[in-house]
Amino acid sequence: MGEQTPFDEMYNADGTIREPYRALSEWLAEQPDKGLALMQADAEAIFRRLGITFAVYGSEEGTEKVIPFDVIPRIIAANEWRRLSRGIEQRVKALNAFLYDIYHRQEILKAGRVPEKLILNNAAFCPQMMGLEPAKGVYAHIIGVDIVRVGPDEFYVLEDNLRTPSGVSYMLEDREAMMLLAPDLFHRTKVAPVETYPENLRRTLESVAPDSAGRNPVIAVLTPGIYNSAYFEHSFLADRMGAQLCEGHDLFVDGGKVYMRTTTGPERVDVIYRRIDDDYLDPLTFRSDSMLGVPGIFDAYRAGNVTLVNAPGTGIADDKAVYTYVPEIIEFYLGEKALLNNVPTYNCTDEDQRAWVLENIGDLVVKEVHGSGGYGMMVGPTSTKAQHEEFKAKIKARPDNYIVQPTLSLSTCPTHVDGDVSPRHVDLRPYVLVGGDEVRITPGGLTRVALQKGSLVVNSSQGGGTKDTWVLED
Amino acid sequence: MRMLGRTAQNLFWLSRYVERAENMARLLEVGYRMSLTSRREGGASEHLISMLQAAEMDEAFAERHDVADVDTVSYFMMFDPANPSSVRSCLEAARTNARSVRTAITTDMWESMNGTWLEFSQIKPRDVRGAKLAGLLQWVRQSSHEFRGAMLGTLLRDDGFSFLQAGNFVERADNTARILDMKYYVLLPRSSLVGGEIDIQQWTLILRAASAHRSYGHVYHDRYKAHNIADFLILRPEMPRSLIYCANFVQQNLDTLAKLYGRREACHEATENLLKLVDKTSMDDIFAHGLHEFLDEFIARNNAVSETLSESYNFY
Amino acid sequence: MRITIEHRLTLNAPSGTSQAMFHLLLTPPSGPAQTVESWSVEMAGIGQAGRFVDGFGNTAHLVNQPRPDGEITIEARGVVATRDTNGVLGRPPGEPVPALYRRLTPLTKIAPELVDGLKPTRSNRLDLLHGLMQRVGEKLGLPDEEAAPGQTQMQADGGQVQSQRQGDGATEDNARADAADYAHLFIGAARALDIPARFVTGYRLVDGPAPCNLHAWAEAFDESLGWIGFDPHQQICPTERYVRLAVGLDKDSAPALRTVPVVEIAQRAKLAVIPAAQ
Repeated sequence: MGEQTPFDEMYNADGTIREPYRALSEWLAEQPDKGLALMQADAEAIFRRLGITFAVYGSEEGTEKVIPFDVIPRIIAANEWRRLSRGIEQRVKALNAFLYDIYHRQEILKAGRVPEKLILNNAAFCPQMMGLEPAKGVYAHIIGVDIVRVGPDEFYVLEDNLRTPSGVSYMLEDREAMMLLAPDLFHRTKVAPVETYPENLRRTLESVAPDSAGRNPVIAVLTPGIYNSAYFEHSFLADRMGAQLCEGHDLFVDGGKVYMRTTTGPERVDVIYRRIDDDYLDPLTFRSDSMLGVPGIFDAYRAGNVTLVNAPGTGIADDKAVYTYVPEIIEFYLGEKALLNNVPTYNCTDEDQRAWVLENIGDLVVKEVHGSGGYGMMVGPTSTKAQHEEFKAKIKARPDNYIVQPTLSLSTCPTHVDGDVSPRHVDLRPYVLVGGDEVRITPGGLTRVALQKGSLVVNSSQGGGTKDTWVLED
Repeated sequence: MRMLGRTAQNLFWLSRYVERAENMARLLEVGYRMSLTSRREGGASEHLISMLQAAEMDEAFAERHDVADVDTVSYFMMFDPANPSSVRSCLEAARTNARSVRTAITTDMWESMNGTWLEFSQIKPRDVRGAKLAGLLQWVRQSSHEFRGAMLGTLLRDDGFSFLQAGNFVERADNTARILDMKYYVLLPRSSLVGGEIDIQQWTLILRAASAHRSYGHVYHDRYKAHNIADFLILRPEMPRSLIYCANFVQQNLDTLAKLYGRREACHEATENLLKLVDKTSMDDIFAHGLHEFLDEFIARNNAVSETLSESYNFY
Repeated sequence: MRITIEHRLTLNAPSGTSQAMFHLLLTPPSGPAQTVESWSVEMAGIGQAGRFVDGFGNTAHLVNQPRPDGEITIEARGVVATRDTNGVLGRPPGEPVPALYRRLTPLTKIAPELVDGLKPTRSNRLDLLHGLMQRVGEKLGLPDEEAAPGQTQMQADGGQVQSQRQGDGATEDNARADAADYAHLFIGAARALDIPARFVTGYRLVDGPAPCNLHAWAEAFDESLGWIGFDPHQQICPTERYVRLAVGLDKDSAPALRTVPVVEIAQRAKLAVIPAAQ
């Protein structure tokens, strides 16, 4: 990992084309001079007109932006995908088993495989969830696993997102845009469909409806409202699933059951895909100043009258400090070795490791334990000396608040930037659905690309873009 | 799938705001035209002032500006975010409502609404003068037509459609009634005796504000007469902006809801009440009882429709 | 002994709200030290209430009242037969793992001087906890509730009603420590020693005029004996004069009543805890 040229998704080290990219490369060669630029402009117009925007926190002007879309797709071969999806399935099964355990008997803590304090004193641990039996035993139904690639056969899981992973609408819209912009490309290659996601999401949600629900459970998507950065996605998913898009005050609890206010009176709700954070979900149980949530909804959940997706308290399993233990967790519950690697992570509370970290900070990535979206993070090699010092001081002050990892040389993928095609770093977020019946993984996922040359930060809030992601079929 | 009360509310207000934006543009267009021909000292125009009165914006305007000239009035009515009825405020409110009900409207409707707002929000007020203003006003009207066209052409004829239509025509009825009320003294049958020759521009203003100056000729084959103009804008069932047309239309749509939901509600009674006022009456009767009083009563009953609708269908 | 309890809360309905929600922890459990012979909770809407067990094993009610108006009364009453177990409760089934109660909360911070020099071993735990109880008493001084029950010490709500922001620890603005503060101090210290400890609310039979609010004490976990009650406010282990109502991590997680929206206390709670006729 270090200084060598990063692995490129399209080109071998000797400059020859990697097999999965053959058709794409031919197609690229056929495009007229300004072809890609025109396509890029078309794409931008499509996205803006459709209102596929996101809000950037802390940016004053123009609260809505279009995430840049790159017209060159990222391609994964069928055999590569089989390997990845097996590893992902293993991971999400183990994490759900872990959640069940720590909210029940806590065997893994008793066995000393994961430090008790790390869990019990963690802000993401939710004591109110103790002893609750979620429908079909599933806690995290919707998961986005962040994966990076550093070599032909070398994949690492960077993060498991078990709270409310976003971005799946971009995966779907990117595909739609790509099919509009370059239909001929789809004739030449056999790409696994992603369009099944909303239907699979619906099936997943139906599969975890409470017993009291009828044959056609009523599903609602709970959004914080139109000013939320991911509002587009909330409405998009509700629409594609044929579910009701609700804000907090559209729902109310009566007699321990959840209803929505309709034009013809109350209608019982069985499953709620909530895109509101735990803290704001229910002012009666969590933050009492929340205006977004539904008073009593958590009690209704405890009473078994509604299913919340994902369950509150799933954040404990994607906590950055718990992340280190995921291989351990997989072994403990499944008796298997982890199929996907974790990125080696240094524990700053350990004195020796901390000393080493402080010495080598220029080569490392520092992440705040509870940070997300690329905030509270420092990439050593691309940061200034002053930033190094700043983070050294932070680590010394609160060693438990940071995890430190080596700087991975993320793979690059050809990307259209300023009228030119040049390599940019990418990651991959496949979306996983865990139902009461089966685990469904949409082939591909969202590829995020750091548009700035050399940058390793792919988050949209930090100037990242997206690419359509293809999984080739055999 | 049953509809959320909030969705019904958003749909109702979405089309109200689109209609209001259009009416504001229409009013400003009239005021602008007339100000070209007559001016007070210092560039102020009395037509612009009456236009502000018609929109019930004269007081709010006076708080912010000393002189009512084309620049100040057009900024206030087009762009001022502090004016809740400016075209800008209306379009923004319409778009916010549309955004909340993305799943209840069609892509065509959303694209039309979103496109209008995006385009409008890019415009810099200082670039809009003279002929550009006229062009922009026309564009606002066209955008409203485009939205309505998208709705008529693509939306399922379900409850959502009825809420949209009801909102549209409640707003339109309110607008027509207010325009008439502003100039009611001009319409008094004997005002010619009182005030001598009536300024023909006054008539034009009223008719143009309702896009009715050409169709008037088709219907009456006569010069502008108070009786005819009032009749046209109040009692003519074929005139799509007349009070009776709007009231009928609102009733039809609420009847559709009653059929769909299998229940009649307080709003249905309120609509009948509104319709009674314009049904089986004549201009002579209306003038006899006082036009101003009549319009006041109409506006009040029209508001009652809006309020009861909100209660009947769980808006909140 | 048999104890009769009558507990009445009177609140002012928040005016103009379309709906008020009440989360009640007003149902005592039967267990090694007490058997609930009869119990009822009465308030408007209780018939349709959601009833369930919360994360700490308490029986909870979720009551809603559409368009609440005027005064809201909540009345819990019943008869509980109690036994003196020297505070020992064992490991009742259906409770969450004791380790849960090692979690520190903003209300159960550690006072270092309390645990100074204490080292728990397998055999000394009981003595250590008794010592801790004593230290808490020394630190906060002797309570003077008997001097003026329900006057100086108790707020009108006595911390029973929680509808303000949680966790700020300022629901009572009286500087004088109340039973909950004693319990919190004890719990924080026990957790600092890696001993699971939890907060208990309940009723206490006293001689003389009854207090108008709930009592609060603590329970600590011992591997061999299970849960053991400690009342640092009274410097004793709970006797047959104690009736347990609910447990939690601290006061904030076991309030008798939580509401949304905020309600005003109309009258001081009325509480009668009296020996029942045999």
